[in-house]
Amino acid sequence: MDPRVFLAVSACKLSIRLLRLTGRGGTAIPGKIALKICPDLLGRLARDVSCAIITGTNGKTTSARMAEEIYLRAGVPCFANRSGANLINGITSAFIENATLTGKPKKRHAVIECDEAASKAVCYLVDPAVVLVTNVFRDQLDRYGEVSGTLSNIYTGLKNAPNAVVCLNADCSLTASLADRIPNRVIFFGVDVPIYKNPVSEVSDAPYCIHCKHEYDYTYRTFGHLGGFYCPDCGYKRPEPQLAVTGILETGPASTRVRMRVFGEDLLVTVNLPGGYNIYNAAGAAALSEAAGFSRETAKAAIAGFSCGFGRMEAFDLGGKSARMILVKNPAGCNQVINYLSALDEKALFVCCLNDNSADGKDVSWIWDVNFETLSDIADRVPEILVAGIRAGDMAVRLKYAGFDETKLRVFDGDYDALITAMQAQPLPVVIMPTYTAMMALRAKMSAAFGGRDFWE
Amino acid sequence: MKLSICHLYPDVLNLYGDTGNILCLKKRLEWRGIGCEVTPLPIGAKADLARFDLFFIGGGQDFEQEVLLADLHGGKDRALRSAVEDEKVFLCICGGYQMMGQYYRTHTGEQLDFIGALDFHTVGSDLRMIGNYMFTCSEKNGASTVVGFENHSGKTFLGDGVSPLGKVVSGYGNNGEDGTEGARYKNVFGAYCHGPMLPKNPAFADLILQTALSRRYPGAALPQRDDSLERRAHDYMANRLARTN
Repeated sequence: MDPRVFLAVSACKLSIRLLRLTGRGGTAIPGKIALKICPDLLGRLARDVSCAIITGTNGKTTSARMAEEIYLRAGVPCFANRSGANLINGITSAFIENATLTGKPKKRHAVIECDEAASKAVCYLVDPAVVLVTNVFRDQLDRYGEVSGTLSNIYTGLKNAPNAVVCLNADCSLTASLADRIPNRVIFFGVDVPIYKNPVSEVSDAPYCIHCKHEYDYTYRTFGHLGGFYCPDCGYKRPEPQLAVTGILETGPASTRVRMRVFGEDLLVTVNLPGGYNIYNAAGAAALSEAAGFSRETAKAAIAGFSCGFGRMEAFDLGGKSARMILVKNPAGCNQVINYLSALDEKALFVCCLNDNSADGKDVSWIWDVNFETLSDIADRVPEILVAGIRAGDMAVRLKYAGFDETKLRVFDGDYDALITAMQAQPLPVVIMPTYTAMMALRAKMSAAFGGRDFWE
Repeated sequence: MKLSICHLYPDVLNLYGDTGNILCLKKRLEWRGIGCEVTPLPIGAKADLARFDLFFIGGGQDFEQEVLLADLHGGKDRALRSAVEDEKVFLCICGGYQMMGQYYRTHTGEQLDFIGALDFHTVGSDLRMIGNYMFTCSEKNGASTVVGFENHSGKTFLGDGVSPLGKVVSGYGNNGEDGTEGARYKNVFGAYCHGPMLPKNPAFADLILQTALSRRYPGAALPQRDDSLERRAHDYMANRLARTN
């Protein structure tokens, strides 16, 4: 055994313990320490692990949670980077936690969500058995630049995954275009029908053909640039998905029932999360399940029974008051949250928390690409909006220009204690929309005040 | 009173929330009881530009640039140049700002000809000039302090025929070298300021509106507004940048 592996693994395990003793769940720092000691540690630890990688702009965490549940229900022990630490440091931490001090894996399967840019190195190191690409939308432009840059990162990742079965979103013209560029076996997943009756209007992140730059036409759209795209000029079009959602049967506040056709077999599937974007997450997870060779019944049961977490429609009990936390991080994702919220018919208190740390995106301009106007259309059901976070001022201005009366806006900046008190001091259920680091800070405060699981559990 | 606003290329120049500027212009007119009509002019659409008072052009992705240049050089470039000379008001951000200049030379030496309405050019660089930034408008541009987010790798150099919009206080501005930010020529205002620019810089927003209003209705004035929420967002960033400088 290489002594560096032992040293790196033990240093990492020790720092994880120390961080947890002090109540902090920093999941990236231990991996960083380990990689300093042994730079090729991830590759070594992954050698005997069969790995499913989930990447793409939106839906990584939720799809990964669904996939993990499929493995568990299939009786295949697996580990995951569950707290969303999806850069190489965080992923290395997850592999170390799964390793003995000599670097042997305890569990031989992993479900790993992976940042798009990090997928280049991570795929190279872990040689995944499956890669799921959820979609490509505009994300934090300060980090990634344009969508074409994100796509090219994912492409490099796939080239570094020669042994993987690749699951691609057929409805995303950007993601689907990867299929022709790789030799791997590909499983396409998609949604054959529109999802919302009245979707919010939003700009398309990919209006022009990736091959010839002619404008796409659509036979139908689900949201954003997703749907039945085709290029009238060069003929590039949505590939026929082997795994398709063929009908949306019932949309409720807590779940959705859909019909799914999986390699010709029709299934009725309950997605144990509301929101149209979670239909895509379920289809992606089901495709991953096919790629990994699990039974359809197992996938169906897992998608119906999994519990989400970590700010993805996560439910909290604020001392007898229900709260839901929905992470927002880019226009496409946030518009889907708005679609979901505007379809609710009960009154609620909305809380927006906008931070601009690097994990949130340092450029907060994206809030102006979110259709908050749709929320102001249901203003009678929204008596008040609480605004907090480092960039609360910007968020408040956005809501003012979206049409909310200034008297309905209360600005808290970084004072989360006062924010939590205000959430409690009113009668309505609470819907919290935080960016990543705001979610982390708020979760910690709420767990401390009302109990609840720590995020690394 | 009523202003007609033309939103040029909303289908491709729509990055970084810049369309928030249109919303801001519209709301600040409506709140004051002034009419406002916004006409989107996407690629391929034709319109008589002479009927507009105010033009907005945002920033976009490189991927769509070819599509856009083909449309511009199909005649819109001439129409835009004459609108500029006719002292119509323009707000041009980032890619839309660069587009008003003479050309863009990539760092591999390839030259893309722009519409040449203003005397400046842009040169591609390896440096990404990115981050929150702040500049102070010159006297004739209202002297207000503007905060926003810049994100560009093109370095813009002004010719003799234009003056800078202002002076960089924190960040890069036009090129990170000469301390200038943006350009002003006749009633054209160009800047690298995302954020979007106008909502949290209400003094600058009103300068744009006042300029357009004065041209159309000589003597008309914009009533003051309560901008405390906008100023709060503005002051937060101004103070943060002043601290780190």
